[in-house]
Amino acid sequence: MQLDALDKELMCSGHVGCPGCGATIAMRFVLKALGEKTVMVLPACCWSVIAGPFPQSSLKIPVIHTAFETGGATASGVRAALDMKGDTETTVITWAGDGGTFDIGFQALSGAVERNEDFIYACYDNEAYMNTGIQRSSSTPYGAWTTTTTGADWKKLRKKNIVEALVAHRIPYAATANIAFPEDLIRKVKKAKAIRGSKFLHIYASCPTGWRIPSEMSIKIARMAVQTNIFPLYEVENGVNYTINYKPKEYLVREYFKLQGRFRHLKDTDLDQIQEMVNEDWGLLLRKAGEHA
Amino acid sequence: MEAELGLKKNLYMPRTSVTTESNKTGSWRFLRPRYEEKTSPCSTACPAGEDIARIEMLITQGAFKEAWETILRENPLPGVCGRVCYHPCEGNCNRREFDTSIAVHTMERFLADTAARNETKPVLERLPPKGKGVAIIGSGPAGLAAAWFLNMLGYDSEIFEAMPEAGGLLRWGIPAYRLPAAVLSNEIARIENQGVRIRLSETVSASRFEELKTSYDAVFLGCGYWRNIALNIPGESGSGVEDGLSFLKQLRQGAKPDVRGVSAVIGGGNTAIDVARSIIRLGGRAVIVYRRRREDMPAFDEEIISALEEGVELRELLAPVQIAAQGSDCILTLQQMKVEGRDRDGRGRIAADGTSPVEISVQRVFVATGAAAAETWHEPPPAETAGHHTAPLTPHLPLHLSHCTLHQEQQGTPIIYGGDLTNTSKNVTQAIASGKQAAMALDTFFQSGAGTIRERLSGCLVGEGPSLSMEIYMHGPRKERKTHIVSHQEINTDYFQFEPRVIQPRLLIEERTSSFDEIELKISANTAMREAGRCFNCGICNDCDNCYLFCPDVCILRGRDMTERHIDYDYCKGCGLCVVECPRNAMTLGEEEKL
Repeated sequence: MQLDALDKELMCSGHVGCPGCGATIAMRFVLKALGEKTVMVLPACCWSVIAGPFPQSSLKIPVIHTAFETGGATASGVRAALDMKGDTETTVITWAGDGGTFDIGFQALSGAVERNEDFIYACYDNEAYMNTGIQRSSSTPYGAWTTTTTGADWKKLRKKNIVEALVAHRIPYAATANIAFPEDLIRKVKKAKAIRGSKFLHIYASCPTGWRIPSEMSIKIARMAVQTNIFPLYEVENGVNYTINYKPKEYLVREYFKLQGRFRHLKDTDLDQIQEMVNEDWGLLLRKAGEHA
Repeated sequence: MEAELGLKKNLYMPRTSVTTESNKTGSWRFLRPRYEEKTSPCSTACPAGEDIARIEMLITQGAFKEAWETILRENPLPGVCGRVCYHPCEGNCNRREFDTSIAVHTMERFLADTAARNETKPVLERLPPKGKGVAIIGSGPAGLAAAWFLNMLGYDSEIFEAMPEAGGLLRWGIPAYRLPAAVLSNEIARIENQGVRIRLSETVSASRFEELKTSYDAVFLGCGYWRNIALNIPGESGSGVEDGLSFLKQLRQGAKPDVRGVSAVIGGGNTAIDVARSIIRLGGRAVIVYRRRREDMPAFDEEIISALEEGVELRELLAPVQIAAQGSDCILTLQQMKVEGRDRDGRGRIAADGTSPVEISVQRVFVATGAAAAETWHEPPPAETAGHHTAPLTPHLPLHLSHCTLHQEQQGTPIIYGGDLTNTSKNVTQAIASGKQAAMALDTFFQSGAGTIRERLSGCLVGEGPSLSMEIYMHGPRKERKTHIVSHQEINTDYFQFEPRVIQPRLLIEERTSSFDEIELKISANTAMREAGRCFNCGICNDCDNCYLFCPDVCILRGRDMTERHIDYDYCKGCGLCVVECPRNAMTLGEEEKL
């Protein structure tokens, strides 16, 4: 694949992300797309650790570490401060995990996008509270093992559809992206950067440690999430215009599930049920995009 | 303003001052990725050992000259082989397990045609002159290849050709619809431009051979098989019976023989097919009579299919018993055969089925059942008779290699036999392989003696062999390639889409049967680039940058031109993503060495 003008590296080696960490790959792509004129707001998440213990930083842009629930509010403040200084060029991005987005930071996020603050809110989604020890979040998918959904008590609730929740705010731009599709991801970040108002990016970021997968498989599994329609790539403009970016050949979801330790307990009947849920969601998305199944 | 913000004094915001680069996370690693190019299955199947994966990569990049030169390092005749080679490479292509194989021969021909059209001059490495001269007898594919490679290795090579034009079997034994004369002449001209001398119309007799031995440092015999093998049946020397090779030769010399009516062609090899298809083009009808079955025919399957398409009739399991003249016609008596078990070569063993012979009436008979060496002194010394009664020979000689035989009588001039004289499979590409092996063997002989030849050559195998690489012999970059042959499972097919193979345009059947025009037509540069783009480039890096892109630890360092990648082991945690996401298996993950 040819990705030009992305040679500038704004992330350093020596960070303490786990081997094969999808969240660091996501960060690299996003920073390459945004460039140096970026301020990052970092509520509590894996990246609070990966960005380095004081006085180190693994990022070559200004980063504000902030409280778990304040990703939307802090970004609003930073944006206001930059505007006061007359700096409308610098991009403000909140970089939060799924816990800080789906659960703990949802109120501040909803408030910020309701005000249509001019910033990007990027959620790198590894589907549980990974850096505190793999506790389930409202992003954890149906069927998954976590340290709080163990044994027979695996999560039997659906993953929250965060993009639809943001779309309901009628923000200018909301999109999904995936680390296995860098061209698509980088295009979306650049597009978001160029739009004024609130932008939301939901980035799939695999987690070898929490998902019980080999580190070298994290891209392969991320790709399969798209290929199986578990994580479709699409974007929504102004809350109404849907575009599906990738029409997969529709591999069976069991191919995705059987590679991951967190789903090992699932039986064929469970997988059939999950397949139906995925098909249903995909049908719904097609309808919203005005396409036929 | 300052006073209003009196709070400011009390605000303490800690700021980072250093990067994380002081953490050498390489200490976490227990698996170690590395760049390691491997061997593609097509290149091992190619008798000439062409670096096909790299050639296709260069075509994809539009670097047609470099791709063509990459062929020339291993094969001096891409224009010929792109047309007449039976392309075993395509039968071994990993892409077959995905959709269909790459049209490697079409690409090879495209490169040769493009170079010919642009009159491109190749820039190839040549070792410093050795000050030794080699006489080469015969300018067929083996002789041309031997001369080409010996020239590359710094020898003066001089070819002696009995005919007034060079090319041997390529010129006189292959019809124009498969190999136009201009293509061959172009290839030979390039070989001459590289410094090979060709002396035409110089027949080498047994006595001349002795002279050559004294005036050259070595002699290569590649005079081919030109004597038709007799059928040993009554009537075969009668009128109306001709040998197939002579017929093809007449055609290439411009003759238009009268072949009205029906001609029987006895044999199942490529010559038999060539004769039959030529008869069709001259307006006659042709029946191939073969004593075994179609699947046992040594002729290339594509040639058989084309012959049948053009109206050649094939009669299997019929052995000729007698040919008798009847007026201007020939009565061919044939014994019906049956298959009984298997021969040692895997083909069906045949025997007369006990029925009485059948007779067919034809206007003439062509015999194309194989050929043999024209003179007994063309034959290499047999393996057993190492001449224990004569003076002790140079140890290790005669040396019988897979594609040639090296001999030296009593410290005399080394003689090397090649091409059809030594090859088990007698075809153009194997002849080129022979010329190459002979050049390497002779050079090693002069450098370090006969005893070192086998070992030196075994270090130049493409994969597990038997194909040899001159680039490896000359210590080129290909030497770094591991011999491991990449399998389909080792390709990350997520990075490839199904795409149909190029369909090479061909003449219509009606056009084919009415002229000797070349059947396969040219393809455009765009088509070639698209087809080459289908290639997995098994085992070699095409600078796709996946390793760089997906590294979570920013450990892939690239040189100034964004190629020449290195892994920064100070920080690499050994996650293995780069290796798995390499589409082409140009990387390997190994265990970290214990300290």
